[in-house]
Amino acid sequence: MTYPVTKSAAAAPKGDVRATHVGRPHASWALPGVLFFTFFAVVPMALAVYLSLTDWNGLGDPGFVGLENWKNLFTDPQLMHSLLVTVLLTVVSWAFQTVISLLLGVWAAGKQRNRAVLSAIFFVPFLLSSTAIALLFFALLDPNYGVVTGDTLGTTSGAFLAIVFVGAWQFIPFHTLIYQGGARQIPEVLYQAAAIDGATGLRQFFSITLPQLRHTMAMSGVLMVVGSLTYFETVLILTQGGPGTDTKILPYLMYEAGFRSYDYGYASAVATFLVIAATGLSLLLVRVTGFGKMNSVREGM
Amino acid sequence: MEHLSRRWFLGVSGATLLTAGLTACGSGDDSGEDGKGGPLTAFVWGDDAARIQEEAIQRFNTSPAAKKTGGTIKLQRIPGSDYPAKLRTAMGSPSAPDLFFNWGGGSIKAYVDENQLIDLHDIIESTPELKNGFLPSIIQSGALDGRPYGIPMRGMQPVLLFFNKKVFAQNGLQAPTSWDQLLETNKKLKASGIQPFALGGADKWTELMWVEYLVDRIGGPEVFRKIQNGDAAAWGDPAVLRAAEEIKKLVDGGAFGKGFSSVQYNNGGASALLAQGKAGMHLMGSWEYSTQLGKFKKFAEKDLGWVAFPAYNGGQGDIKNVVGNPTNYWSLSARTKNREAAIAFLKTCASEEYAKALVANGDIPTTADAGALLDASPNPEFAKFQYELVQDAPAFTLSWDQAVKPEWQTPMLTEIDKLFLGQSSPKEFVTALKGLK
Amino acid sequence: MSHRSNDRTPSRRHWTKRSNPIAGLASFVWLLIVLIPLYAMITTSLAGPEEAIGRNALTPPKNPTLDNYGLVLDSGFSHYLWNTTLTAIGVVVIVVCLSVPLSYVAVRNRGFWAGGAFRLFLLGVAIPAQAVVVPLFLLITKLDIYDSLWAIILPTAAFAMPVSVLVLTGTLRDISEESYEAMALDGASPTRMLFQLVIPLAKGGISTVIIYSALQAWNNFLFALIFTQSEEPRVLTLGLYNYVSQFGVNIPALLASVVLSGVPIFVVYLVARRALVSGLMGVGGK
Repeated sequence: MTYPVTKSAAAAPKGDVRATHVGRPHASWALPGVLFFTFFAVVPMALAVYLSLTDWNGLGDPGFVGLENWKNLFTDPQLMHSLLVTVLLTVVSWAFQTVISLLLGVWAAGKQRNRAVLSAIFFVPFLLSSTAIALLFFALLDPNYGVVTGDTLGTTSGAFLAIVFVGAWQFIPFHTLIYQGGARQIPEVLYQAAAIDGATGLRQFFSITLPQLRHTMAMSGVLMVVGSLTYFETVLILTQGGPGTDTKILPYLMYEAGFRSYDYGYASAVATFLVIAATGLSLLLVRVTGFGKMNSVREGM
Repeated sequence: MEHLSRRWFLGVSGATLLTAGLTACGSGDDSGEDGKGGPLTAFVWGDDAARIQEEAIQRFNTSPAAKKTGGTIKLQRIPGSDYPAKLRTAMGSPSAPDLFFNWGGGSIKAYVDENQLIDLHDIIESTPELKNGFLPSIIQSGALDGRPYGIPMRGMQPVLLFFNKKVFAQNGLQAPTSWDQLLETNKKLKASGIQPFALGGADKWTELMWVEYLVDRIGGPEVFRKIQNGDAAAWGDPAVLRAAEEIKKLVDGGAFGKGFSSVQYNNGGASALLAQGKAGMHLMGSWEYSTQLGKFKKFAEKDLGWVAFPAYNGGQGDIKNVVGNPTNYWSLSARTKNREAAIAFLKTCASEEYAKALVANGDIPTTADAGALLDASPNPEFAKFQYELVQDAPAFTLSWDQAVKPEWQTPMLTEIDKLFLGQSSPKEFVTALKGLK
Repeated sequence: MSHRSNDRTPSRRHWTKRSNPIAGLASFVWLLIVLIPLYAMITTSLAGPEEAIGRNALTPPKNPTLDNYGLVLDSGFSHYLWNTTLTAIGVVVIVVCLSVPLSYVAVRNRGFWAGGAFRLFLLGVAIPAQAVVVPLFLLITKLDIYDSLWAIILPTAAFAMPVSVLVLTGTLRDISEESYEAMALDGASPTRMLFQLVIPLAKGGISTVIIYSALQAWNNFLFALIFTQSEEPRVLTLGLYNYVSQFGVNIPALLASVVLSGVPIFVVYLVARRALVSGLMGVGGK
C-alpha cells in the first residue's frame, strides 16, 4: 500500500500483460463534469474577454468597441490604486494568516487535551458565513451605535486593517486546521534523530517542521491568495470601498463599474485583468513553492 | 411554491441541456408561463414610506378595477442602497418588473433609450383622472425630451435643514437663516459637546446635498444648469470652488463629527443622531420627516424643526431656491403582461384617497388638489411650509446625481466624497470634476 | 517526496507531547481574539432597546431579552435558511455526481483527453468566481434562470469543481494498482470498480468534497446578490445583508440575526465535529 509501490506499478507496468487487462474507464465519463465546468466557468471567462471589447449597459445588446475599455483601464488611475490595494491586502493577509495559523496549527497538532479543546473553540468563527462575519464587525464597529465606538472604518488604515482582521478572523481557523493536519504527518523519527543530535526545539521547528510543511504552506497559500482576492463582501458591507476609494479592491472596482455604473464592458475588462492576474499569481506561487512538482508527479502517474 | 418548482424544473432542464453539450440559447419568451392572471410586480424603494404604496396596492388588489382588468399587483420592497442596481439587473433580465419606482429624468434614461418603457403621453391625454389629477409641471419634471414616462407616486421632496428643537432650546440657539449664523451655531454646538450636523457620509448622496445648496446659494442656479447640460468646463465656475472651500472648513472644524464617513443614512444612523440629540442639525430631503415618524415617533411630533437652507452672504442665489426631487414616479415596463391593470392602478395614484394617505404620512402630494388636503397632515405646519416653499421657489434644481448624465454620477459622487474626507483639496476637487468625460 | 509516503506509519501516533510556551501564549491570545467578538455579539444581541446604545459590551445586559431573536424569526429568517439548505444540497449533489467520475477518469485513464481534463481543472483552481460575475449574469438571464435558486446553485457548483477534483484525484491515487487488478481478476467492469472499490475507498475524499462544496453554498453572497432579487429565492447571506437596511441602527437585532445564522451549522459542528474537521483537513491535501 505504500506510495513507491503504487507509483512503480503505475508508471512502469513492466510489460506485464496482466495490467493491460484491467478495465479502465472511458474518457467520456469525464464529459459531464467537463462540459458543466466549461459552460459555467470557462465560457464566462471567454465571454468576459469578449465583453471587455464591447460597450454594454446591461439592457440592450453589447456593441463592439475594440480596445477602448482596455485603453481606459490602463489610463485609469483608479486601476493602479485598486491593484495596489489588492496586492497589499493579499500580501498582508497572507503574512498575518500564515504566521498565526502556522504557529497555532503546529501547536494544536499536539495531542494534549487542552489543545484539543482550544482547537475546537478556535474553529467556531469559521462556522459563520463571511457575510455574517462582516455584519458582526460592521455592527460592532458602528461609529455611534456599535460596541467599539470611534471612527475605525472612516480612516484609511483603520478600514484596511479591519478588512485584514475580519478576513483573518474568519479564515485562520481553517488554515490552522490545514497546518495541524500537515504537522501531524511529519514523521516523528525526524524529531527523534534531531533530538539525538542535540537540536533545540526552535532549531527543530526551522530545520524540520517548516521544510516538511512546505506543501501544506503552498496549498494554504494558494487558498489564501485566491481567498483574499474575493474579500468582496467584507469590503461591500464594511467600507463600500471607502473611505474615498482607499479600500476599493479590484473585485469591488469591477462590481462598481458593472453593477453601479452599468458599464459592463469596462467591468469585464477589469474582470479579465483579474482572471489573468489571479492565474499568474497562482502559477508563480506554485513555481516558487514547488507545489508544481507535486502536481507533475501526480500527473505522471 | 408554484414559482419555485417551475424554476426548479427550468433549471433541471437547463442543466440537462448543458451537460448534453447543447448550448441552447434558452427560452427567452415568457408567453407560456404567465397568463394574464399572474400578478404584476412592482419595485419600490424600501424605506419607511413604502408602506403607503403597500396599502395602496392592497386596496387596488381587492378593488373592482383589479377584478375587471384581471390583474393584481405584488410589491417588492428593495432596500434603499441597492435599489438602482437591483432595478437595472432586473430590467436587463427576463423577469423585469411591470411597474417601478424612479426619479424620472436621468434615472430612467437608459431604459427609455432601450425602448423598455411605455410612453405615457397618450394614456395621460386620454385618461381624465391622470390628465387633470396632477400638477402638470410635476409630470413634466420627470419627462424626457418632453415625453412623460412616469406617474407621480410620492410627495414633493425639497431638501431642508432639519434641527433638533430641544437641543437648540437648551443651548439658546435660533435656526440659522444666513451662512454666518450657521457657522455661529456650528461653533456654539461644538462648544457644548454636540456634533453640529448629522451626516450619513457612507451614502455619498447625503454629502452631495451640501454641495448642491452651497453652489446654488453662492453662484445661483445657472451654475449647475450649465453643468447639467454636459459642459464639464462649467465645473470651473468660482462658485464651485468657493462651495468646496466652505465644506472643507466645516469638515476640518469637525462639524460632521469624526465618524461621518461610516454613518449611513439608509439604515437610519444619521437620523438617529439627530433624534437622540447627539447632533443638532441634519441637511436632508423632506422624507426625513417620514423616516423620523417611522423610527422616532415622539421626536418627529415634538422636537423636529426645519428651515430652508440659509442664504450665503454676498451670494447670487436666492434663499427661496430649492434643491431636491420634485417627486418619485411609477414607470411602466413595455414588457408588462397586463397593461390595462397597470394603468388602472396608476389611476389610483391620482385619487384623493391616495393623496390623503400621503398627507397622513407627512408628505405633500403632487396632485392638483393637494393644497386643500394639507390640514389633515399630522403636521400641517410642516406640510404647508414645504408646499409654499416649492410653490414660491424661483428655481427648483433636481438632485445632481439624478440630473447629470449617468456616466458622471458615480465619479462625481466619489469626488465629493474625497473632498469631504480631505483626500482632495478644493482645488483638486474642481480639477477632477472638470476632467469628467 | 518519500516523506509523504510515511503518513500511515505508526510513528505518527507518537507526535510529541512537548510543551511549547511561546505557541501556548500565542494560542491564548488568539483565544481571546476569537472569544471577545463572539461574547460581545451574544450579550449585545440580548440587550433591550434602552440598553442597546452606548452600553459596555463586556458586561452582560441587566434585563436580557429574546425580543431581538423574535424579530429576526418574524422577518423571513427560516425561509432564507431553507433556501440556503436547498442550495447547499443542490451544489453538493452536482459536485459529487460530476467530480467523482471525472477524477476516476483523470487517475485511471491515461489518455490525452483525461490528462487535458485534469489540467483544465488545475487551471481553474486559481480563478475567483467573483471575476466572471458579469458574463455569468448575461448567461443566467439568457437561460432564464435569473431570480431563482438555480442561478446560485449552478455557478457555485461549477466553481467548487476544481478544488473538489484536486482533492479527489489526490485520494484516488492512494488506491493501489493491486486492488484494481484483484477486481479485474473477478471480471469487474470499470463501472463495478467505481462503485465497489473506488467510492468505498475514497469516502474520506468524498466527504471532504461534500463539506467543501456545502461550505461554498453556505458562504455564497455575490451570486445571490446579483442573480436573485425577490423574496422567494432569497438565501440566508442575502437575507442577513438586507437586515442591515431593515433593522438599521437596531444593532442588537442585527447581531441576533448573525447569531441565529450560526446556530444550525454550530449544531452540525457539535454533532459531527470529527467528520467536519477531518474533512476540511483534506482540502489542504495530505
